[in-house]
Amino acid sequence: MCKEMNRDRIHELLNKYWNCETSLAEEQELRRFFSEEELPEELQRYSPLFSYIREEQAPRLSAEFDQRLQESLRKAEIPVIPHHLLRRTTLTRIAASILLLLGVGVSLYFITRQQNNPQYVERGNEETEVLEQATNALEKLADALRLSEEASRQTLRQINEMEIDWELIDSLNSETTPGETDPYSETDDAGEVSPANDTIQKGVNAGYLESINSEEKI
Amino acid sequence: MKVDSFNTLILPLKEKLFRHAFSIVRDRAEAEDILQDLLLKLWSRREEWEGISNPEAYCYRAIRNMSLDRLSVASNRKNALPTYEEDEASLIDNESPHIRLVRKEQQELIVHSLSLLPKRQQEVFQLREVEEMSYRQIADTLEISEELVKVSLFRARKKLQELLSGEEMNERSQMGSSRKQNES
Repeated sequence: MCKEMNRDRIHELLNKYWNCETSLAEEQELRRFFSEEELPEELQRYSPLFSYIREEQAPRLSAEFDQRLQESLRKAEIPVIPHHLLRRTTLTRIAASILLLLGVGVSLYFITRQQNNPQYVERGNEETEVLEQATNALEKLADALRLSEEASRQTLRQINEMEIDWELIDSLNSETTPGETDPYSETDDAGEVSPANDTIQKGVNAGYLESINSEEKI
Repeated sequence: MKVDSFNTLILPLKEKLFRHAFSIVRDRAEAEDILQDLLLKLWSRREEWEGISNPEAYCYRAIRNMSLDRLSVASNRKNALPTYEEDEASLIDNESPHIRLVRKEQQELIVHSLSLLPKRQQEVFQLREVEEMSYRQIADTLEISEELVKVSLFRARKKLQELLSGEEMNERSQMGSSRKQNES
């Protein structure tokens, strides 16, 4: 009686199983049923599947595995120490941050002091001296500017005194005649320059002709 | 605290992780080796655990990848697929040698037809049937949708149902055994 019921139940479960409608618990029930010695004739054909699964589930770690694992863990990193390491690292972190804060504090102190000192000196000590120095420098600059202005005025005056014929200078741009090339030709020895130039020119020409002649002779 | 989470979260998974590695590499010593590697790695990177939302799925992925790596290295080296290791400690012990032989052949048939399934279906089947994971856990482990998990499992089971329900089941296993006898 009980077996009949069980058989119906298994058929039902199997149908659900093929359609992927069984829960994990029901699948376990199926595996348990198929591990029994005596199976109904029509169900025997399915037993290889479930015994295959059971055998796939069978492998167990060897007894020595845990020991070997512990050994290799110890060798790899010494698993007992991490607590200490952890504490030490937090301690060192705290120490490092305190040191950092101290360093920043001290440097800030010195920086502000350095910034304060010159302000103090400038304002209280020799305010007038600094002012004097500044005015002195400004006066020197003003002197220099004045001097340069005077110098440029003087040159301008001198240029005006020269009485240059500006139209003549303009015309020089188009044609150049030996006598008038130099705009400053009104200077003392202007008259002597041009004849000397002429003789030099002649000499050069003569030399050139001679050389040509000598070449022709050869 | 991190030491505790290693002991309470990771270590209880060791048997399951070992089985998962074994299901891939098919070698006990190798699977234990891989598991030890993984646990050492996890231990040395315990600072990064805070970022892992699902440690179990993470561990499964890790051991799966490591096992597959090992397998590819091994197959490169030996140029041979790992053989299905015979389980001496079979649960059903008091059987006649004949029944045992038949059963073994039937199981080999199942192994064989499972190996013909697409990779994803194989993995989903393994995680559901052997590791007894929920659909949600499988989805997290394989990083796919729950829907895809169900579809993959459905197809895998349908294939096995066809294989087992069909009358050719016995014939095939007979054929298999006769072929084996011929070979030997």
